[in-house]
Amino acid sequence: MINDSKNVEESTTALATEEAPDNKTRRYDRQLRLWAASGQSALESSRLLVISGTATSTSILKNLVLPGIGHFTILDPRKVTPEDAGNNFFLEGPSSIGKSRAEEAVRLLCELNDGVEGKADLRSLEEVLDKDKEWLTEFSLVIAHNLEGGLLERLSKLLWEDESYPTLAIVRSSGFLAEFYIQYHEHTVIESHPETAQSLQIDKPFPALLRDSLALDFENMDVTDHGHIPYVYILVRVLEDWKKAHNGSPPSTYAERQEFKKLILAMRKKSDEENFEEAESQAYRAWTATTVPSEIRALFSDSKVTNITSTSPPFFHLVHALSKFVEEQPNHALPLTSTLPDMKADTNKYINLQKLYKERAEEEKKIFKSYLTVSVDDAMVDAFVKNSHALKLLRGKRWGSLDEDPKALAELVETSSKQLSTHLALSALTSLATKQQPNAPLTPTIEALTAEAQALLPAGVELPAEFGDAVGEVARAPNADLPNTAALLGGIVAQEVIKMITKQYIPIYGSCIIDLIETWTGMLPV
Amino acid sequence: MASQSSSNPSASADWPGRYHHIDHILDTPGPRTDPEFAAGDQVKNFLRKESKILVIGAGGLGCEILANLALTGFKDIHVIDMDTIDISNLNRQFLFRPKDVGQPKATVAAEFIMKRVPGVKVTPYFGKIQDKDDDYYMQFNLVICGLDSVEARRWMNATLVNLVDPDVPDSLKPMIDGGTEGFKGQARVILPTITSCYECSLDMLNKPTAFPICTIANTPRLPEHCIEWASVLEWPRVHGDKKMDTDDPEHIGWLYKVAAARAAEFKIEGVTWSLTQGVVKNIIPAIASTNAIIAAACCNEAFKISTSSAAFLNNYFMLIGTDGVYSYTFEHEKRDDCPVCGGQAVDITLNPETTVEQLIETLTERQDLQIKKPSLSTPTKQIYLQAPPQLEKSTRPNLEKKVSELVPPGGEVTVTSSTLPMSLSLRISYST
Ligand SMILES: [Zn+2]
Repeated sequence: MINDSKNVEESTTALATEEAPDNKTRRYDRQLRLWAASGQSALESSRLLVISGTATSTSILKNLVLPGIGHFTILDPRKVTPEDAGNNFFLEGPSSIGKSRAEEAVRLLCELNDGVEGKADLRSLEEVLDKDKEWLTEFSLVIAHNLEGGLLERLSKLLWEDESYPTLAIVRSSGFLAEFYIQYHEHTVIESHPETAQSLQIDKPFPALLRDSLALDFENMDVTDHGHIPYVYILVRVLEDWKKAHNGSPPSTYAERQEFKKLILAMRKKSDEENFEEAESQAYRAWTATTVPSEIRALFSDSKVTNITSTSPPFFHLVHALSKFVEEQPNHALPLTSTLPDMKADTNKYINLQKLYKERAEEEKKIFKSYLTVSVDDAMVDAFVKNSHALKLLRGKRWGSLDEDPKALAELVETSSKQLSTHLALSALTSLATKQQPNAPLTPTIEALTAEAQALLPAGVELPAEFGDAVGEVARAPNADLPNTAALLGGIVAQEVIKMITKQYIPIYGSCIIDLIETWTGMLPV
Repeated sequence: MASQSSSNPSASADWPGRYHHIDHILDTPGPRTDPEFAAGDQVKNFLRKESKILVIGAGGLGCEILANLALTGFKDIHVIDMDTIDISNLNRQFLFRPKDVGQPKATVAAEFIMKRVPGVKVTPYFGKIQDKDDDYYMQFNLVICGLDSVEARRWMNATLVNLVDPDVPDSLKPMIDGGTEGFKGQARVILPTITSCYECSLDMLNKPTAFPICTIANTPRLPEHCIEWASVLEWPRVHGDKKMDTDDPEHIGWLYKVAAARAAEFKIEGVTWSLTQGVVKNIIPAIASTNAIIAAACCNEAFKISTSSAAFLNNYFMLIGTDGVYSYTFEHEKRDDCPVCGGQAVDITLNPETTVEQLIETLTERQDLQIKKPSLSTPTKQIYLQAPPQLEKSTRPNLEKKVSELVPPGGEVTVTSSTLPMSLSLRISYST
């Protein structure tokens, strides 16, 4: 032991600077580990509108109020019915019947989190669309559950008019079946939280790493030191030697790679040197060329990047700078990572290697910044460089574009028949609802639903074989908002809304279809 | 165990229209409904008057499960949880409020549900699942587990498998198991002895990160190594027998200070309060939304199994929500050599030179068995016992002996361990 306890106590007071976390941090601890303070503050400044106070709507809201969104409004003119009181957890059973559904739900949802502001607005969506459209655009995101087709079309068209208007999450459910879609023009993600780490660039070692690797005197080294050299040095060294003997090429065939691995193991002074075993298992890093992922390269030629202007959003400026960096820097690679995985090594050697990477990453970041033509917040630049291998740009379409595109539907009959069947059955229900008197009971027949769905497909294209399964369920329970379906949608929609608001992780691209009979989810691409 | 009475006087009456939404499903079969489905009053009566369901865990999943079951029409629900409410639960365990911190989860959750959903009886038990015997578990039609502990799941699974008596059809209790971690989760249906059980799929679990003690003591490289040093080596050295309480901010504060000092000495960056707490408590990120998805999937299966209104999940639903919504539904296969439901011994082939100590090491490393500190015996002799101390001492010399000296080829070795919900039978053969 290095210190006795007294020394530990004395020497630490200056080092551990953080106080115990406050109550808010403690309350949010389990989620801060997923989206950090930056994600939390994005949530806290968001303003959500939810149309209307159904069981599904309140389930979605519950999962947004708990993690702490800033504000929500429920738009709903209806009074609580006995049916509502039976399936909605955010109503108080029979005692809520006859009261405003929005007010009751807001009151009970607000109990979940003091930090969230909730409001009930008792107007109808129709009235708002007629007289107060501007009000809708003041929210960051709008969620709509089971809207009748005509209103849904008016709402989705309105919110599509301008890129700055709120994102719209459209949720449809009928018994065991459901679908949701997020309407956005464009969504960019820097912090996508990828599973894969950035390349250590062993095939293109930076000067200090190459220098230190070559300077190691493996043969005459002390045995203990030898057994604690991080594999990065070993791989750089073996690769350098290999290239010298092979006209500058890395091992490329299976036989060569086996040979390469043997060379690594042959360097061992003792048979149990774990660092050399690790180097062997990590040998692929030496022959895997560090390249720019194709998805990132595709971003470089995006028109918003090639036609960059001073008013372009920072994301596009950063991508533009990245494309220049890759093009002009000698490695033609993404900026070096400053994050080193753990490896068999002693403390000093590991920390020194970490320092080399950090210093080099810092230099490359400086070079990267020199390509920026506008000023971008430092924290954003840091996050961008760190995630430059996993950036995401999603371009969406207006809700309804799929149903207006018979050719796309015909293709999906072939490629995604199960998902499409549910989508068509739900679309048929939405449009039937539009054709009947408002608030009349919705009791469509299978035949009527089938005719509506068939009308969406081009002439000569048949409904998928699975359509019968989907339409039968829709006819069985057309407007049933089942507690379990509502709860599942509540989770899955809230999750995507959180990703949209925090701009972390990657939201859905297309329509998400849910079948709770066979318990599967699937996507219909945009 | 005394059951709580509902605080709502109008409780028992179902008002007209109450189950309007669900009755759509229960009054009519769908295209994929089993022909045996008894639509109408029969199924409604079973669900609302006869069915008795047990929920294990009243935490992140448990709160959601209880609310869903109550709204679905289950009226006799029991819940077991041994924990009390912590402030860090409030970001997702939506039946609890700041005033409830420190109270038992099971009791507070049960009271909340009974107040919010009139006519539903929720009977809480604040304690361990191991406190209850077979007779207790026999009374339920179905068990839903919303647990965060592998050991509790293994115990519950083995208990329900052992409960199955082929001559008593009611002894087969479907077990629905949910689990979440961050944006990921899974829900599965286990029909004990019929489908793959929890033990059958142990090898699907992620291996927990373990840091070798020599790294912690001699060559720390990561902030985690410094934190482990503080908690594993320094705490007992400085505080002796005083137990470390990872919920006590003063204890975490001490560990943080000690870890930060060690990190500074080795020039390691990144020791923070939050990381210290995360490492010593083995914290798994958890959010309301993922719990809602998985709990809903579990309750939906409970509803389908209890009513036959639709086929139930066969048998595993896995969800990954980090990149879009990705899910995978598949049939996990039963393992013939599953120590719990397979009924066969696990075959193991050893080099004749293998010592008992080496066998123990091999066993503890097997991902599909997950054994800690095993004791070994044959039908005729004790090979090595971890406890009590006098037997440990008397069997210790066997550690250095070859297994082949103690067990004949094809012989069976019984393995017991505190992590195993049952004793495991090994059939030993020797490579030549
Ligand atoms: Zn099994």
